[in-house]
Amino acid sequence: MELSVDRLTKQYGSKIAVDCVSAILKPGVYGLLGENGAGKTTLMRMICSILEATSGEVLYDGRNVTDMGADYRNLLGYLPQDFGYYPDYTAMEFLRYMSVLKGIPRKKALRRSEELLEVTGLTDVSAKKIKTFSGGMKQRLGIAQALLNHPKVLILDEPTAGLDPKERVRFRNLLADYAGDRIVLLSTHIVSDIEAIADYVFIMKRGGFAAQGTVPDLIEQAEGKVWELQVAPKEVHEWEKKATISNLRHEDGHVVLRIVSDEQPSPHAVMCHAALEDLYLYYFPVKEGTGLTD
Amino acid sequence: MIKELFLQEHKKLWKKKSVRISFLLCVLYIVVFGSFLTYQWFTFGSSRGTYSGFGNNFDGYENIRKMKEYAKQWEGEMTDEKLQEMVRDYQALVRGAEAAHSAGDREKESLYAEQAQRTDRSSIGSWISTLYPELEDSSQTYPSLLERYVDPAELTGFYERRQQKVEEYLDIFGHTEEEKEYLLQMNDRVKEPFVYHWLEGWKLYLTQMLNDFGMVMAVFIVIALSTVFAGEWHNGMGMLMLTTKNGWREVAYAKVLSGIAFTLELFFTIAAGAVAGQLIYLGTEGWDMPIQYIKLIAVAPMNMLQAEIYEYVYFLLGSVGLALLVMFFSAVARNNFIALVSGLAIVYLPMALTGYMPMQVQRVFDLIPLVGSPSDIFRTNVFHMFGQIIWSPYLLITIPVILGCAFIPFTVRRWAGRLKR
Repeated sequence: MELSVDRLTKQYGSKIAVDCVSAILKPGVYGLLGENGAGKTTLMRMICSILEATSGEVLYDGRNVTDMGADYRNLLGYLPQDFGYYPDYTAMEFLRYMSVLKGIPRKKALRRSEELLEVTGLTDVSAKKIKTFSGGMKQRLGIAQALLNHPKVLILDEPTAGLDPKERVRFRNLLADYAGDRIVLLSTHIVSDIEAIADYVFIMKRGGFAAQGTVPDLIEQAEGKVWELQVAPKEVHEWEKKATISNLRHEDGHVVLRIVSDEQPSPHAVMCHAALEDLYLYYFPVKEGTGLTD
Repeated sequence: MIKELFLQEHKKLWKKKSVRISFLLCVLYIVVFGSFLTYQWFTFGSSRGTYSGFGNNFDGYENIRKMKEYAKQWEGEMTDEKLQEMVRDYQALVRGAEAAHSAGDREKESLYAEQAQRTDRSSIGSWISTLYPELEDSSQTYPSLLERYVDPAELTGFYERRQQKVEEYLDIFGHTEEEKEYLLQMNDRVKEPFVYHWLEGWKLYLTQMLNDFGMVMAVFIVIALSTVFAGEWHNGMGMLMLTTKNGWREVAYAKVLSGIAFTLELFFTIAAGAVAGQLIYLGTEGWDMPIQYIKLIAVAPMNMLQAEIYEYVYFLLGSVGLALLVMFFSAVARNNFIALVSGLAIVYLPMALTGYMPMQVQRVFDLIPLVGSPSDIFRTNVFHMFGQIIWSPYLLITIPVILGCAFIPFTVRRWAGRLKR
């Protein structure tokens, strides 16, 4: 099983949202990291075959997914970023509806829905209307619907948004169990989720892949670019203006800054081991004085 | 699976508050307000001297019984002699009331007035003014109320006069010789002599009550169905649905079917209510009267029951046609508000503009679902298609639904496809 993305491009007028992206995805968990507007959602929608590409194609085992039509959609599980729902439906009714859309026979659908409600911890509220659910519960229901048809290709756009730490751990475990011989592509802003789940990571910037590789490979790329520097509290503001700070902590009346930089930021700075988050900040440095990434 | 999809879509439609409220309001307006209260209060409730129907007494049921009882004396074939008797009878009641008024006998006056109200006065008046316009006397206090003062003996040759007037009106309306021949051939099939029963009930039912039917239904069909496709984008489900196996053509057809099912449910509920009101208040007597009693120059060889069936079929097919158009707008707009406004505009804009348009444009507007009127069975409008003359009511029931069906493939195609943006 192989999903290949071949020179996929999406252009809106003069703006290029996805710029000639290519990748080959085999069974495993793939993480898509990138800031807002990097093109992650557009890329995922094209892979799901709901958004027309300007050029390029997506192939599943060598067959164009657009030509496969319903056969491809039958293999697909998708959780959109802004997952909608019917407020007056109960969780069970919603899964029943999604099962019909996915062409799952009634009995099988009922069994599968109960199973997924159990897995996502929604069994107790299966008869309650979705409008009474918290954001995390809705997100878990979204994950459940994506898994209804045992998809071979699972695309999850920001699946951990709105989940509390306990729910995120539960989700990671669920995905780890599920992945096996399937292709899972997930996007998130939460670097630690990717670090924990993904076998392979794409860092997306301005419509293209700025970097890609396994988590250790990517961390390796960041080695030599992460520094720790002890400064006086009054100097912190100055450093925030001139460097990308990935972390700071107070220690014995001083502040220890974790700085991402190609060069040693100060003669007193000490090189330290990198993490995936450092690499993320390396590609998306904090804008001066805004606290926002570039 | 399409059956399952249809059931799910149908359930989803009915779960929407806007749909349930629309349904309830529509039934309430047409069945309760437009039917039961109209019989019992606004139209047949005895007058308390106010101008508004709201001022009437709540006694329509008893009054209708009295009117029907009064009309029984004239039942049977309509002849010159019978028409003369009816006019004489009415005039006697009016004169009796006037005499009692002059004598200051209020009780007697109201008795006469009440009896005069039981007659089919307005219909008789319209027959006389149509067939015997030369009898109009401008020196009278109310010249247009010929039935109050004409000499009944002069009301002769009812059927011959009618035939003559039909031919005259066809000339006045500017029909070509070919059209005249076509319409006169229809007229030849009108059964004579006419059978008479109490008329006012049928007249109200066919010319007013059923006419409001479509105008009201249209609002609620648009409100309920404008969200069928657009609503999925509004609540963020559109994207998700398009990634599912049956989320393209299959679900689009299921949605269209559920929209049609909703329209049929709405139609049959209000039709059942309206017919129940008709049966309870008016009964079935007079179903075989010709529609010419309502408009003498009508050429359609139809009786009241056939006219009623035609009007219901007109609204049924028009409603389905409109439902299909609204769902098309819903699929194209992907926005509830735009779909709602487009749906309302397609019906009410032509209705509002038709008066300012040339006749040919008006005829075309009439073919838009629920824009025209089933009252065309009383008229002589014709269309020319493929070298044939076609009486307008035939097209008014078929074109709207054909138009709606023609949009189904575009509706499905618009939904079932990859997004450009």
